[in-house]
Amino acid sequence: MNDVEIALHQVRYEQKTYWRNPMAAVFTFMFPVVFLLVVGTSAGSSTISGSTLRYDQYLVVAMLVFGLIAACYTNLGVTLCIRRDQGVLKRMRGTPIATASYFGGLIGSILINVVLLTALVVAIGMVGYHLHFPYHPLAAAVTLLVGVVTFCALGLAVTVLISNGEAAPAVINGIYFPVVFISGVFYPISNSSVLSKIADYFPVRHMVKGLVGAFENGPGSGLQVRDLLIMALWAIGGLVFAVRRFRWEPRHR
Amino acid sequence: MDDIVISVKGLTKSYGGFEAVRGVDFEVRRGHVLALLGPNGAGKTTTVEILEGYRQRDGGEVSVLGRDPSHRDKELRSRVGIVLQECAVDQYLTVTEAITQRAGLYPDPRPVDEVVSMVGLGAKGRCRIKTLSGGQQRRLDLGLALVGNPELIFLDEPTTGFDPSARRESWELVRGLCAEGRTVVLTTHYMDEAQALADQVTVIAAGKVVASGTPDTLGGRDQGETTVRFVLPAGVELCELPLPPDLRPEVRCGVVEVRLPDATALLHDLTGWALARGQVLDGLKVRRPSLEDVYLDLTGDDG
Ligand SMILES: Nc1ncnc2c1ncn2[C@@H]1O[C@H](COP(=O)(O)OP(=O)(O)O)[C@@H](O)[C@H]1O
Ligand SMILES: [Mg+2]
Repeated sequence: MNDVEIALHQVRYEQKTYWRNPMAAVFTFMFPVVFLLVVGTSAGSSTISGSTLRYDQYLVVAMLVFGLIAACYTNLGVTLCIRRDQGVLKRMRGTPIATASYFGGLIGSILINVVLLTALVVAIGMVGYHLHFPYHPLAAAVTLLVGVVTFCALGLAVTVLISNGEAAPAVINGIYFPVVFISGVFYPISNSSVLSKIADYFPVRHMVKGLVGAFENGPGSGLQVRDLLIMALWAIGGLVFAVRRFRWEPRHR
Repeated sequence: MDDIVISVKGLTKSYGGFEAVRGVDFEVRRGHVLALLGPNGAGKTTTVEILEGYRQRDGGEVSVLGRDPSHRDKELRSRVGIVLQECAVDQYLTVTEAITQRAGLYPDPRPVDEVVSMVGLGAKGRCRIKTLSGGQQRRLDLGLALVGNPELIFLDEPTTGFDPSARRESWELVRGLCAEGRTVVLTTHYMDEAQALADQVTVIAAGKVVASGTPDTLGGRDQGETTVRFVLPAGVELCELPLPPDLRPEVRCGVVEVRLPDATALLHDLTGWALARGQVLDGLKVRRPSLEDVYLDLTGDDG
């Protein structure tokens, strides 16, 4: 088998492992769905100022971002920290698998999850909230792809900051939740507010804006190049940091 | 020489300022079992992980299957099977799935079912790994190391924590691997394990080789003195015993102890004398130094 076939082989087992571990799927799939059913229905259908989206439709798009980050950053970070701590990564390193095939397997599996998540959330939006199928489908696809790359890179990078697998979920979510809050994932935040100015330094708000742009129509909608470029900077930074400092072995005890 | 699978010369490795391995040498021939025997902290894992390509050496020459393991090339990794000291198995797959996954990474794997039953997990094939006991997970670990059909297998304390019957089964497995012409390097702190399996034992203490040889000759064990002990029969003086004049018997709490290179003649005289007098030689014992005696001698008290 060549490296690509081995990566595909790994995808199968990554998928099995993923769906048998309920915690990961709860954050990625359950949370956005439950949030939309509970909060979305009471969010009202007034239009957000400066947007063609209604409040509840905005939340649908924002929840897709939330799920994507859980599927990429949180899932990859926690999984790798736990595997490193248990010595699973070290053992992988003793087999002939290429590093690219191993990470290819992990990220291939994450891509499947993101496609499923997107289909699920968009379907809920279209059925429940009259969300229009993205007016700019290509922009939506590109934004989602840049999101996967960025948040997977940050998931890899965060493993460098963590030395103990048990602490991984706490640290990883501890970094992520404040950023998600100020980025307008749970409620729209006006572009002129202080919070949004802070949030603009981080990638999450740009992901929300990028995806909202693909679901809107009218002037200013479509591919949000500036937002995507800022995300790409985060992706490159995270990747460089991770490649330099990634550890395969648990700390010496 | 093609027959030498591993060659290590003058290997050194420090952690910070601490020298964990200080000039270790050994060679392993194809089809042999080398036991690296030594107390905790001796440097066994460090040595083995350098051979496996996990750690970089500071000095010395190392060759594994004719290559330098520090380059971690793919071909070498596909010819070597590794069981790490710490057991590491993903929890959510079943036994068969985990081995099938691993098999997919090698050019010429063994049949999965064969491996599952080789390591005695035939009845557990469809069980999730997290439901296995510690000993069963350890055996799965072994199965994962074997599925790639390795020529050379590293086992770092493979039976620590096993019950006696599981240990014996693992020993059988290792013997089977050697019978197939595979080479095995195992580390252990169990003397009986080295005795039972090894063609060659290298004893390491504090980062140095303190003895090396076959289990039967290690540390001059085959030339060591035999000890004969028995209770001095009541009413018999020491000088009445038929002992050769040049021996200096010791008597402690009424027990006579004699050390000599070969006890055959002595035993003949002694038992003949006792029979002729109708005496019983209570507690008669003849002991050769065990591998354990030699080992404790070599590694000091903290062995
Ligand atoms: N990664 C490491 N960092 C620092 N010290 C280490 C590391 N690995 C091992 N040591 C130290 O080196 C010595 C030898 O350890 P090790 O090779 O694990 O011995 P053994 O396997 O014989 O028990 C020990 O004192 C251990 O604490
Ligand atoms: Mg060890």
